[in-house]
This record gives sequence, C-alpha cells and structure tokens, in this order.
Amino acid sequence: MILADRPFRTLLSREILRFTRIWVQTLIPSLLTSLLYLLVFGLALGGRIKQIEGIPYLEYILPGVALMNLVTGSQMNSSWSVFDAKRERYIDELLIAPMSDLQIALAYSLGGTLRGVIMGAGVLLVGAPFVGLNIAHPALLLLMGVLSAFTFSALGTTVGALATRIEHISFLTSVVIQPLAFLGGVFYSVEMLPEPLRIATLFNPIFHTVDAARYATLEVSDLNPYPTIAVVFLLAVLAFCGAWWAISRGPNLRY
Amino acid sequence: MNGTPALKVEKLKKMYSTGVLALDGISLEVEAGRFFGLLGPNGAGKTTLINSIVSLARPDSGSVEVFGRDAYRQFREARRMIGVSPQEINLDKFLTVEETMLFHAGYYGVPKDKAKERTEELLERFALTDKRKQRVNTLSGGMKRRVLFARALMHDPKVLFLDEPTAGVDVELRYKLWGYIRELNRGGLTILLTTHYLEEAEALCEEIALINGGRIVAQGTIEELKWTYAAASIEEVYLKVVGRDISR
Repeated sequence: MILADRPFRTLLSREILRFTRIWVQTLIPSLLTSLLYLLVFGLALGGRIKQIEGIPYLEYILPGVALMNLVTGSQMNSSWSVFDAKRERYIDELLIAPMSDLQIALAYSLGGTLRGVIMGAGVLLVGAPFVGLNIAHPALLLLMGVLSAFTFSALGTTVGALATRIEHISFLTSVVIQPLAFLGGVFYSVEMLPEPLRIATLFNPIFHTVDAARYATLEVSDLNPYPTIAVVFLLAVLAFCGAWWAISRGPNLRY
Repeated sequence: MNGTPALKVEKLKKMYSTGVLALDGISLEVEAGRFFGLLGPNGAGKTTLINSIVSLARPDSGSVEVFGRDAYRQFREARRMIGVSPQEINLDKFLTVEETMLFHAGYYGVPKDKAKERTEELLERFALTDKRKQRVNTLSGGMKRRVLFARALMHDPKVLFLDEPTAGVDVELRYKLWGYIRELNRGGLTILLTTHYLEEAEALCEEIALINGGRIVAQGTIEELKWTYAAASIEEVYLKVVGRDISR
C-alpha cells in the first residue's frame, strides 16, 4: 500500500517539517501580501465598486484571494523543496531508498498541498472578521481547495524536478503563476471583461478554481461549478502524472 | 566461501548521451563478508558502477543482484540491504543530526523504536551525541563526514558502499574511521570501497578490482595482484596495469 508505507509517510512528514520549521519564510509573507490585497483592493477600490452580483466587493474577492494564496503557496513549496534537494544532492538519499518514484512524487505533492491549504484557510480566517463570511458549501470549498492545491503542488514538483537553474523556478512563479492568478477573475467577474478577454480567461486554470471556490463560499459564480470540479480533477491527474514522470526522468536525478 | 554473493554484476553497459562509454560490459562478483576495493583513475567508471548498483544511474543493459535480489525488479528488497556513504556530502540542510538519523531510518522502513535505539548507538559511536540537536549545515566538514557514515549504517545494511570515505578528512579521523570500518567488516558486513588513496586500499581491502575505461582490468587479493604483476606494492600494480592501459 503506497500511503501506509513508512518510507512514504516519513518523506511526507519531512515535507511538513520543512515548511513549518521555516514558517517565517513560508507562511507569514504571503499571508501579509493577501491582507494587503484585501486592504488595497477591498477597502480602497471597494469604495467605488461597492458590489458585484449583489455581494459587497470585499466579500466577493475574499475567496479568490484565499485561493490565489493557496495556489502560489502549494506551487512554491514543492518547486523549491524538490529543487533544493536536487541542487544540494540530498534527493539522492531518497532516490536510493526503498521507495518508488511514484511515492516520492506523491509525498512532495501532498506536502505542498497541505501548505497551500493552510495558507488559503489562513487568508479566509484573517479576512472573515472584515466581511462576516458565511461559507455556503464548506465541503465543496474544501474539496476545491485540496484539488487546486494538489494540482499546483504537483506542477511545482514537476518544475522543481525538471529545473536545472534557479531561474527556472522563479520563472514558474513570477512569469506563469502570478499573472495567471491575477488574471484568474479574483478581483472581478469575467462578465465585466470584453469578449476576447473573457474567452481567453476560460483557458486559465486558476480562473476555474477561483470561480468554483467563489461558488462554494458565496453561491455566485461565472460558470456552473460542478463541471469545474471535473476540470480541476482532470488537471490534478495530469499534473501528478507530470510530477511522477519528472521525478523518474528529470535531468540530474537518475541519469 | 559458498552461498549467494553479496553483489553480482553482469555485463553492465552504460553509455552517456554525450557518447562517453562509462561501463563497457562490466561483470563483478563480491563474496558476502568481503572487504572489496575498487580502484581506478578519475573517469574510469567507479562512481557510475556504484550508481548503477544503487539505481542512481540507469545502465543500458546488464543485471545487478544484491544478495540474490534483482536491483531493479526487486528494488525495495535490494535497496534495503545497501548503505551508501557518498563521496560528496549530501545532508538534508533542514534537519538536525538526530533528525537526519531518524528520517533516514524512516525512509528505509525501520520501525520508530528501533530507529531511536540505533540513533543513540550510532551518535555515541561517532561522538555526535552532544551535536544531536544541531542542524547539519552548521557542522564542520569532519563532523558532516561522520554524520554521513552514521546515516549509511542507520538501517543496518548488509553491504556498505564507501565512495572516497576519507576524502578531505584529517589524519586522526581517517585512522578512527579505518578502525571502525574494519570492525564493521569483522562483524560480517560486506564493504565496497572506492578510494584514490592506494595505501588506504592496501591497508583495508582483502580483494581489489582495478577498473579502467569501464572495464575491470585486474582483480584479485592483494597478494595475488602483487604476485601476478611482480610488484612490491599495490601502487606498483596500479601503475603497471593502469599505466599499461593508458599507453596503449
């Protein structure tokens, strides 16, 4: 059994130990950034926008900001953790241990998932007093959060295993994930966009996760949330296949 | 000695994408309980051979068995029996000395109680007990080397690979390590040592294989090698065999 195996559980607990041990670096800064988003966009801009779809603006953006934090957190956790292990070669200890590549990829992906979920929940908790948030469908929100975090954590694992230079990691974060997160409908409804941009947004995976999280929290969304769950589930499977492949075939791992 | 060999490598071939032939159909058998030395110049294929056995490298063809277990098809059983102290220090910088031991044990499926017991024993053995709570990246080079050693022994392997174990180590620690390695070998542990220090090989190994150009060019006990090549020392054997190969 893959999950009950002690080697796998040990690596997963190592991954959790890593981000909790350096919590000042891993948890606090992005929580602060999210708070700034809420303050700047919610309070300053919210004075002008007031409401979207009948929801106060700050409340409207909160689930999206939480999800943005979750996505970037899970992705950064795995990509850095794998890349560091590879750069300093302590990943060799895992590669020669009685553990399959599938287990290694899964442990890294789940470690990042947990960090993402903690960060997303952190934003919701910190933001809730401002807006008096009621979560309409908590189970759905949790499912979406976990699936999204797993997807982006697996993507981070893939990139960490494939990267040969530190720039590859920062490229993923600042050139791919951040813009996609910003354009993922966190701060506006896609209905407010011109037609071409609206269609382009449909190809942004982060948009789907944000939209579904908004539905789960506030019961408003641009799309029907249930097909989105299927889309995100598919993305999670694809991203994990990528992570598994990258751990077993990535450059400078097993040659 | 009869019985299953600790290590059986057959016709192992590995060509890198750069076109370099690192292993040229190498075959090797190491008896259980032996202290075996692998010598050869840089680039001879020593590390590629070790990496192929522990599955850090993927050979193009050939087979590897560890105590009768196929290193690829039965990788869990095979890998559990191997301990590696690598040439380059590769300690997990997020962990303390004690955690390094405990996590390593976990990666090899050692139950927690047993792992704790063994950690105490090895920390004591390598004089690391007072450093147990210290993060490994704050240790001196010699201490890191000791942690690597202790870590390799954590899961009680049956074969120990020592890749240049005394590189960059001061004389005192080198002799201490030698003593300890000898003791482990006397206790029945099979040891495969690669080293650049020929006197180290001569002092420790029962059997030696000289490797060059991805092939084994000479193999035998120290006495056999000296006799075959009419040499007074392993250094002379080495120069005769490897030198002959180079001038060819």
